[in-house]
This record gives sequence, C-alpha cells and structure tokens, in this order.
Amino acid sequence: MPSISEPHTIPAPTIENDTRSDDELAPTYYVVCWNDPVNFMDYVTHVFMKVFGWQRQKAAKHMLEVHEQGKSVLIREGAEKAEFYVHQLQGYKLQATMEPAE
Amino acid sequence: MRLLTQGKGGWRYQLSRAEAQALRSLLRLFPTTATVAVRITHTDTDPKAVEREKLLNDSLAQHREELRRKAQHLIGGDRLKVWGDRYVLSLGLDDREVLLQILNDIRVESWRALDQPEDLDPLPNPSESERVHHTRMSLAGYFECMLLNLEETGQAATEQ
Repeated sequence: MPSISEPHTIPAPTIENDTRSDDELAPTYYVVCWNDPVNFMDYVTHVFMKVFGWQRQKAAKHMLEVHEQGKSVLIREGAEKAEFYVHQLQGYKLQATMEPAE
Repeated sequence: MRLLTQGKGGWRYQLSRAEAQALRSLLRLFPTTATVAVRITHTDTDPKAVEREKLLNDSLAQHREELRRKAQHLIGGDRLKVWGDRYVLSLGLDDREVLLQILNDIRVESWRALDQPEDLDPLPNPSESERVHHTRMSLAGYFECMLLNLEETGQAATEQ
C-alpha cells in the first residue's frame, strides 16, 4: 500500500532585487564614424584595425559602410570607453562621434 | 618611392631626390594649419557632452603637439639617408604609424582649409593659398598611399 506523505510547506521563493550593476544601468553610446571625401579607404581600414584590433575583413566591412551609407556604427560602449574610442579615431583625423544608444 | 625591405625591425623605402625633399618639407612645416575644433556628438543633449567636447579638443591639441615633436624627430634623425643619387627612408613600427598620422593630418587639415570640397580635383583658378593647400593635400596623400599600399603589393623582399 502506498504511503501517504506528510504535507510539507515549500518555502517561498526569494525574490532578489534587480541584480544589474551600476555599469549595466549606465547609459551607453554608439561610436559612429562619418563619411568624408578626403580620408582614403585603405587608411580608414588601417585605423579601424589599429584602434579596435579588428581583422582586416571586419575593418573593411565597416569602412565600406561608411563609404556607401555615409556612416557606420562601430561599437556600443559605456560613456568612458566610447569617449576613449572617439579620441583615438579623431586623433587619426577620422570624423567620429559618440551618440546616445537609447 | 618603392619598398626595399620589410621585416620585424620595420620598413626601408627608396625615395627619389624630389620625393625626399617633398617629404622633408611636409614634415618640417607640420602643422601647416591652425587646430580646428571638432564635435564629439551630433545628438547628445546631456550637459556632460559640452565638457566631453572640450576634453576631446584639448586632447587633440596635445596629440598634435606630440606629432609635431615626432615630425622633427623623423627628419632630424638618421631615418632619411642619401644612397647614391637616391634616398633610403628607414621606419620602425612606431615611426610608420606616426608618419601616417602626420601625413593624414596634413591632408585633412589642408582639405578643411580649402573649405572641405567634395571634389578633390584642383580648382580651375586657384588663389596662391588654395594652390598651396591643394599641393600639400595631394603630396601628403601620395606618401600615405605609398606607405599603405606598397606593403600589400608584396614588392619587397621580406626580412626575417
């Protein structure tokens, strides 16, 4: 004969507060490179490889986006890192800006 | 200009006398234009953006000053040597990167001084100032292309 278990109470689930860190809640920015007629396509590819450490194929893809669509979103980062990348790209004389992501 | 050798130590290029003189002249005169303020954003209305923009322009002015010092270093050292009736330009890894940045600065700032034309062909009746800016933009572009493209065409013997 099957035994009948004593009823037992399941503890209520613990509902944790939002566990996202401050960093995750902080605003993020798109680093955007804009087209111009003066920077050479090879130079732009070279700069993307240097600044972001990308392989040539990825760098060239973004360079073509800049050339054909007028701009390319290169990366999404927090304010500090986005600012760093804009400094780097502008140091190479590319027209780069940081735009709020939301 | 042609690539003689490339390897871990850097690159060696052969330049004609005219090319060597033009490169020296570009480097000696750098920077050829005043620093122009740039924008850090097109859409951000956060008051912090104003502070960020100021920081960016201060940082770019410092960077340009650093490039100016390095430009003098490039022509002052023994990187450009006479070799018969030609010249040899020897560049380490960092030198080449610095030279590319200096040349592109000259190219972009000359273009800005020309009022940022879409068409980069020479103007039909340029003023003296426009002629000078256009020549600098073209010359800097010539050397930039050489530095960027000679390596890819595999012209040189690779050093171990």
